[in-house]
Amino acid sequence: MDFNYFLTLLVFSPLLGILLLAFMPKANESGIKMLGVLATLPSLILALIAYFSYRGGNDLANFSEKFRWIQFGGQGAEQSGMFSVNYELGIDGFGLVMVVLTAVIATLAALASFHIKKEWKGYYMLFLLLEIGMLGVFTSQNLILFFLFFEITLIPMFFLIGKWGYYEKEKAAYSFLIYNGLGSAILLIVIMVLFSRTGTSNIEMLRMILNTENAPLVAPVSESLKMGLLIALLVAFGVKLPIFPLHSWMLRVHVEAPPSIVMIHSGILLKIGAFGLIRFGMGIFPEQFADLTVLLAVLGVINLLYGAFLAFIQTDFKMVLAYSSISHMGIVLIGLGANNEAGIQGAIFQVVSHGLISALLFFLVGVMYERTHTTTLANLGGLAKGMPIASGFLLAGAMASLGLPGMSGFVSEFMAFFGLFKEMPVLAAVGTLGIIMTAVYLLRAVLAITYGKAEREFVGISDVRSFEWAPILVLVGLIVLIGVYPNVLSEPLQATLETILMGIGG
Amino acid sequence: MSSVPVSAFLALALILFCIGLYGALTKRNTVIVLISIELMLNAVNINLVTFSKYGVNPSITGQVFALFAIAVAAAEAAVGLAILIALYRNRRTVNIDEMNQLKN
Amino acid sequence: MENAWLIPLFPLVSFLLLLLFGKKLKEASAFVGILATLASLVYSILVLLERLSEPTYKAETVWLTIGDLQLTAGFEVNQLNALMLVIVSLVSFLVHTYSKGYMHGDERIPVFYAYLGLFTFAMLGLVISPNLLQTYIFWELVGVGSFLLIGFYFYKESAKAAAKKAFIMTRIGDVGLLIGMILLFWQTGSFEYDEIFAAVEEGAVSGTMITLTAILIFIGAVGKSGQFPLHTWLPDAMEGPTPVSALIHAATMVAAGVYLVASMFPLFNASETAMLTVAIIGAFTAIFAATIGLVQTDIKRVLAFSTVSQLGYMMLALGSAGYVAGVFHLMTHAFFKALLFLAAGSVIHAVHTQDIEKMGGLWKKLTFTGPLFLIGTLAISGVPLFSGFFSKDEILIAAWAHGNYGLFWLAVIAAFFTAFYMFRLFFMVFSGEARSEMKNVHESPSVMTLPMVVLAVLAVVAGYVNTPWFGSFLGDWLVEGNEALGHGHIAGPGWIMIVATAVSLLGILLAWMMYSKKSISRDWLSSRAPIVYGIVKNKYYIDEIYNQTVVFGAKAISLFLRFIEIFLVEGIVKLTTAAVQALGKTGAKIHSGQVQTYGTIAFVGLAVLMVIFALTGGYL
Repeated sequence: MDFNYFLTLLVFSPLLGILLLAFMPKANESGIKMLGVLATLPSLILALIAYFSYRGGNDLANFSEKFRWIQFGGQGAEQSGMFSVNYELGIDGFGLVMVVLTAVIATLAALASFHIKKEWKGYYMLFLLLEIGMLGVFTSQNLILFFLFFEITLIPMFFLIGKWGYYEKEKAAYSFLIYNGLGSAILLIVIMVLFSRTGTSNIEMLRMILNTENAPLVAPVSESLKMGLLIALLVAFGVKLPIFPLHSWMLRVHVEAPPSIVMIHSGILLKIGAFGLIRFGMGIFPEQFADLTVLLAVLGVINLLYGAFLAFIQTDFKMVLAYSSISHMGIVLIGLGANNEAGIQGAIFQVVSHGLISALLFFLVGVMYERTHTTTLANLGGLAKGMPIASGFLLAGAMASLGLPGMSGFVSEFMAFFGLFKEMPVLAAVGTLGIIMTAVYLLRAVLAITYGKAEREFVGISDVRSFEWAPILVLVGLIVLIGVYPNVLSEPLQATLETILMGIGG
Repeated sequence: MSSVPVSAFLALALILFCIGLYGALTKRNTVIVLISIELMLNAVNINLVTFSKYGVNPSITGQVFALFAIAVAAAEAAVGLAILIALYRNRRTVNIDEMNQLKN
Repeated sequence: MENAWLIPLFPLVSFLLLLLFGKKLKEASAFVGILATLASLVYSILVLLERLSEPTYKAETVWLTIGDLQLTAGFEVNQLNALMLVIVSLVSFLVHTYSKGYMHGDERIPVFYAYLGLFTFAMLGLVISPNLLQTYIFWELVGVGSFLLIGFYFYKESAKAAAKKAFIMTRIGDVGLLIGMILLFWQTGSFEYDEIFAAVEEGAVSGTMITLTAILIFIGAVGKSGQFPLHTWLPDAMEGPTPVSALIHAATMVAAGVYLVASMFPLFNASETAMLTVAIIGAFTAIFAATIGLVQTDIKRVLAFSTVSQLGYMMLALGSAGYVAGVFHLMTHAFFKALLFLAAGSVIHAVHTQDIEKMGGLWKKLTFTGPLFLIGTLAISGVPLFSGFFSKDEILIAAWAHGNYGLFWLAVIAAFFTAFYMFRLFFMVFSGEARSEMKNVHESPSVMTLPMVVLAVLAVVAGYVNTPWFGSFLGDWLVEGNEALGHGHIAGPGWIMIVATAVSLLGILLAWMMYSKKSISRDWLSSRAPIVYGIVKNKYYIDEIYNQTVVFGAKAISLFLRFIEIFLVEGIVKLTTAAVQALGKTGAKIHSGQVQTYGTIAFVGLAVLMVIFALTGGYL
């Protein structure tokens, strides 16, 4: 099978949907929705083809593609390939996993967007643009290209939050844009420094050049400069992840954005932070990263506990989930802080697993909000009577989130702690308090919604219906699949892990 | 001819330029400001001509450039005065302090 | 035995089927569950029979690859596993059958049977796990099954609270287990039981580490088995339907803690401190819960506290190196306690109340349940010839032989209390005059009584597999081929048996005098020492203490963090925005619209730049 242009097709296939949507009449609601969902399918199919062809023994390197794109500098530089920016796409195991996750969640979120009440045309066009950005982020092999795709995700997100969100949507959209804009500015500085000093922005090349002694450089990159760049990266991606105390924008987005967008946001966009940290932080500066592990682990434990304790006293279910996301991203940091095989794999698992779980939970939030028009815990109660199936899945989602074995959350949590216990047992023991607190706040919130006496106005509400089944079943299925047989995920990751660990020298 | 050193030309240009600058930055009357700007342009012209004659690589290009500058300055003065008159018709003043509509 | 992994799968299939088709099956769902557990039971018995003659079987496959590490999953059939398989599947089968009658008419029967299936699957999976990781996985799943069933009546606030409490309390224990397990892995390089034991035996693990990990694992057992101080969830768990209490909170799940300690026994045995901890906690829990049981008035809560107390006995046995005694008591207790709960369920089914103050004189009306309840009561009280007598005797001997004399006497007193409160319960429910409001009381259907009959027979005869008189078959078989587990039978002084018999008979006598003959006033204690009575009645205020300390502490931390969130994090954000805005406003003022001002500033800026350029030569 020939894989030329495969990734380009994969990344830009939603563009077709955008073009077709542009010609749709504005009022044709069902047509727009249908087209919006269909437009996400090509990338999903291609992503699945990539996954299965990989499982069938195809080398991921076959997917790479590369074209000369922009050239800086004079004739000499052109010959040596220095200061050229290539359009190059490619995936490794981690990228593959993320692409599949993105494609799956995008399709499901497109389905969940059926709950959107107005201006479907603009919504779906922005939505598809967002998908292009996300897919591009995970496939670009080049920092400048990565940055471009990274920025592409920001703009549609801003409008999607600001236009289709709830009461304080504008405020949420602005704080999203400002925080992330600052994050990208820092990222851009890092990229430019690297580019100007090494003459390349290719990730593989950078990894090689910066980690070989006496490699030819345009300008020297000292150890302290590397450290500075890594810390800048940590801040840039820390905003995205988010790391305490850079998280307040993300709470607003979680609460104000429409649930289908939060599925994408919490499921994929937050993960770009983790992806970037692993891919660039760990990949390009392995030695400096090893010096920062204690900091990362401490930050992780702080995130975990801080999120958990604050989730415990929230009165709005969406806030509980928002803080729970902070808490769960702490586990990613814990895994990275462990900086060994188990820890890093745990972090990656947590990225995927939390993506699926939070997508599921926010989808259910959307389903419930559709019927009850509230997410305040005090106003809810006894939903298990009116909508037993949705309540059951909500409970299942909460269980997955609190790390119940047999579901994906457990595997990642276990591995992250497993790794950290090897390196810093005392810190890890403190962190396990978070496991208890997770159970406490999730049960508190979910039981307040589903158990107890049913509010009278919720008695006659309808349960899960028609299109709502697909996202629920797919997400639960994937969560359980990873939980029961984690090797579906861990096998593609082994090669990536080896590369990363080789850098660390472990 | 060689009795006049280059520095004299340059000093003249500098003095002209400073007078022009001073006028352009401090005078209230817009007409005077415009005239001051012309002074600064002429200072530049002197420099151009000086270097085209006594520079490291003397060439005619400098003088051509000075001619260009004079032409452009003339055009600019015409347009500037035209705008000024239009303004004067509207506002009945040539005081530059009162010309701040661009701010809002 | 090669296919023993199928045993847990039958209930899992039942769970899935009922989830998918439960709505259509309605009451017929019961048959799906019953058939599935029957299949498990038959298979378990076959496996046990096979295991009697064949060696341990173990099979594993890779579950999770972490770099070079390969974590495995599989199953193992050794003596303990095989025995537990039969106990669990038997009790589960009987409870499934019994529930057919007990839950009759409830519209959520499919859900109930689905949950039961999930729980049975997890419990069976737990007992055949060959390694700690897999044990932990099923350990948690068992907790979820229990959580779901406790909260089965989800619309009741009390059930909701109880379910939440059960899950969280056991989770605290589980975290102990998780930490212990991971630490043990990094010491021994494996989660497999046999490899851990081999490493411990070789001395690859330091003594303090053994003690630490053993105690952490024991914390897991404390949570699951309702030992002090994590016992408070178990009495509350009685909010679940009564058959559930029989299955989960008497016979199987709560015994999982004991099972865990038993299967990790060689590790515990390697550390004196850990053993002593287990023994002390066990003995303390035994007497502590027994005293609370003396004054409870809810039939199920009395049984719950007696369960806590009996589990304490098992822990005491294990902590005193009485491996066989602990497992033996685990088995007999499973039978007679399940019997007692089912009988209590039958009583509740008949009279629709759980308050024993409102019951009385049911002996004549419940002609089946009464004698069956009596058999259970006799067995738990340790009356000779019943199963509880033999196993309790073994425990006492083990405690004495291990030199824990103080704990031994505690256990004896607890035995006296046990006999007393169990017969108090019996007399208050069955003897005396029938209350007026208990008019239309009728015996339960045979689908409920038959499982009780089976359990009653076992509650009588199960003790004879391991007696000082006829030989200790069970004990010898359990420790066969594994010296680390100790001897099949521990010899002890003969007077222990006499003492045990004496205290249990004394307890019965006292209960009879107080509650049946009424020659001693019932409020003897409450009138003489009201404070003591109040403390015991309120379960030593443990719940209240937890509320005041742990719950309050968590809330306080949360509020403190919210304070940080609002004032520090948001504060910094606000400060930044304010600074940027101030800067912007200042900047805006410079934009006066005066071209001359702009020009001046531009010129001054240029001049400054040129000065800098001149001074530095253009290189910064």
